[in-house]
Amino acid sequence: MKLAIKHLKDQLRIYRRKPLSLVLFLLLNLAMLLTIASLIFVIGYIFVNGVSHLTPELVFGKYSSDNPSMSFAIVTTVILVIVALLLAAPLSIFCAIYLTEYAKRGNKIVKVIRLATETLAGIPSIVYGLFGSIFFGTVLGWGYSILTGACTVAIMVLPVIIRSTEESILSVPDSYREGSYGLGASKLRTVFKIVLPSAMPGILSAVILSVGRIVGETAALIFTLGSVAKMPGSLLDSSRTLAVHMYISTRDGGMAGRNTAFATGVILVSIVLVINLLASYLAKKVSGGKTDGE
Amino acid sequence: MKKMLSLATMAILAISVLAGCGGSGDSSTGSGTAGGSFNSAKEITVISREASSGTRGAFDELMGLIEKSGNSEVNKLFSEAVIASSTDEVPAKVEVDKYAIGYTSIGAVNDSVKALKVDGVEATEENVKNGTYKVSRPFIIASKGEVSGIAADFIQYATSTQGQEIVKSLGFVTIDGAKEYTAPSTALSGKLTLSGSTSTEKVIEKLREEYVKLNPGVSIEVTYNGSGAGIKDAQEGKSQLALSSRELKDEEKAALTPTVFANDGIAVIVNKDNTTTEMTTDQIKKIFTGETRTWDKV
Amino acid sequence: MRKKAILEKGSKLFFFLCALFSIGAVLFICYFIFANAIPAIRQVGLWEFLSGASWQPNNVPQEFGIFNMIVGSVYVTAGAIVIGVPIGLLGAIYLAKFCPKRIYPVLKQAVSLLAGIPSIIYGFFGMMVIVPFILENFEGNGNSVLAASIVLGIMILPTIISISETSLRAVPKSYEEGALALGATREESAFKVILPAAKSGVVTSIVLGIGRAIGETMAVVMVAGNSNILPSSIFKSVRTLTANIVLEMSYASGLHYDALIATGAVLFVFILLLNMALGLLTSKKRA
Repeated sequence: MKLAIKHLKDQLRIYRRKPLSLVLFLLLNLAMLLTIASLIFVIGYIFVNGVSHLTPELVFGKYSSDNPSMSFAIVTTVILVIVALLLAAPLSIFCAIYLTEYAKRGNKIVKVIRLATETLAGIPSIVYGLFGSIFFGTVLGWGYSILTGACTVAIMVLPVIIRSTEESILSVPDSYREGSYGLGASKLRTVFKIVLPSAMPGILSAVILSVGRIVGETAALIFTLGSVAKMPGSLLDSSRTLAVHMYISTRDGGMAGRNTAFATGVILVSIVLVINLLASYLAKKVSGGKTDGE
Repeated sequence: MKKMLSLATMAILAISVLAGCGGSGDSSTGSGTAGGSFNSAKEITVISREASSGTRGAFDELMGLIEKSGNSEVNKLFSEAVIASSTDEVPAKVEVDKYAIGYTSIGAVNDSVKALKVDGVEATEENVKNGTYKVSRPFIIASKGEVSGIAADFIQYATSTQGQEIVKSLGFVTIDGAKEYTAPSTALSGKLTLSGSTSTEKVIEKLREEYVKLNPGVSIEVTYNGSGAGIKDAQEGKSQLALSSRELKDEEKAALTPTVFANDGIAVIVNKDNTTTEMTTDQIKKIFTGETRTWDKV
Repeated sequence: MRKKAILEKGSKLFFFLCALFSIGAVLFICYFIFANAIPAIRQVGLWEFLSGASWQPNNVPQEFGIFNMIVGSVYVTAGAIVIGVPIGLLGAIYLAKFCPKRIYPVLKQAVSLLAGIPSIIYGFFGMMVIVPFILENFEGNGNSVLAASIVLGIMILPTIISISETSLRAVPKSYEEGALALGATREESAFKVILPAAKSGVVTSIVLGIGRAIGETMAVVMVAGNSNILPSSIFKSVRTLTANIVLEMSYASGLHYDALIATGAVLFVFILLLNMALGLLTSKKRA
């Protein structure tokens, strides 16, 4: 403690000599603090106002004009996430395998693939929504439906999964692969039995993060999934995810709708919280428990 | 150590920033609704609806906001008007803004805002029904050609005494000559699709629920995407019935058969703190075209 | 043995095809957006479309000009940068160089959570808190360039912080040690030595932040007021390209529909240009 106080004094002496440094130091702290404060304020605001409206009726009850329940939206969200991941996860994991294990460095095609993935990552969700509604909705004739929505968001999360899968495959030590080849295993076998299992926590964390992206998506879904307030009967039915339900509630429901929106917001934020914690827990597992701090 | 200092500063800053945030949070949640002075020199916030809204279509027509000359039609809505995208968003915006004016279905008006008298007539159901309150429009179900099966039966239900009871209970104006509805003896089954006006949502949702109770074999899917879109959908066959909250235009009447199932007044609403209680059509028009910019010039 | 070789070859081909999918997706998206947009732009006239100030789909004849919305998108994005970049950059320096080890994981988690919160939540928060706050304390009705800028500024923070932090950390320790040995304070070394050395990473983070801000839809449409005007102050209402699409798309048809797709195409071109700029930046760094 004494030592700490002495250091503090030293530091203060330096700051007296160079007041600009003190100002900078304070600014740095202030900036970080503003960031954290805005996070706490946003989440806190939603929770404080939302929790009281969160009745079992509203969460699990049957949707009707008197009870704008979110039960159907929860079901739709789950279905949409599953369908989208069934499409996106294998595709992007195989793509990452090709890029890391098979492609030769400096290959032209690889460069183009990278460029394409980066482009996909940069496209705003509203443009995905337009594309999805034109292509899946009109050209393929699926209209407003879960299938249209799922295909649209599947393309949207491709770059998320590809990039993180690549990273976690690259972090698998070469010695593992050499060991496997040394024992006479084929490349395919090595990839599936050695590389993928070691990279699995990282891949899972990427997939989970993409779940977060899908759950939070609105703009790409209103023109593809539509906004019918009904429990979906099939993949070709239109419905709402939680985020779309929240948007429609803020827009259409007046005061009652705002309360529904708050309550839906609580559920939405909770899901995102869990997803983020889970993903970072898995990511930590990859790096062997050490954080990348300092 | 350095870190200690950092933590200490963090703590101090944290307290001050959070205190600031807390303060702003309090003031914002109570804003607008918390009484207080009304400064009539302030600018009017004009709130209108997106272009395909039936309420907007009817309002623009009734207030003379559409200038027709020869073949051209020009909408004169004030360009700085805030655009709300649904019936309920308008009162929500008016509630928090002391200087706002907007318009919405009488059924959507609640205690948090104030409806103005227009040309001396109060915006009530009776006045709409007896024709003294002029700012009103019909709610219409439109079908392409002759309808049969579920679609025809649903229209019959909507215009029946049971259907009109629902219309009345939600604060809309009933039509005359309703007959009692009985479900067809051979049970109907299948899917009915409707699309159109967001203003009709409350009535249609309730009608749908009750109708499905009487006809359990039927499922009804409704997309509320605005009158204009609903009419297009029905014309193109994307949905079986269109919901409109304005009269059909002549070229639309050529393709679709309208059935009025309710009437609705459009209330012109202002914030509760606003001292104005009454306006003429002309004054309203001047506000919505942007000629009048402050409340004291009304 | 032969069977095995075929399996190996086949799987390689299969992985390759999967990898080609992203190229296919980009081409598909480009094709379908532009195939719908170009006829509409041709009908309206490219110049009229880009420089016209009037957007009146219900008038006879219809008018489709998106100039105000292009400017609107640029305004709110610039506002987001003014708010988000200084805070984000300072935050990144803090995380990279000044953060106590014990709270680092917590802060890092908080930043990634900030990135994970859905835009609808930010929009709702803006609508319920920021808009009434501006209405109460400043001029105008709250639905404004400022409200949109604040919301977007918060939303781009995590992008700026995490990418800048990575590049700040990548600066060799020797730079800092050299500066400290010459008698600089830690703050001076961070701002005058490390920050300039990490310049390209910082610029990358800003470009990505611009991309996120200009493409954001839901959060903006809920707080911006959406009037089709050239805002004369930050307290005036504004309509962005994205807001125009989301407001009108669900009921548009015919030329109106295609004109909205064309609005999306213009946005898409903006994003492609940003991506190209980014490509140039990163390739420069490698060289």
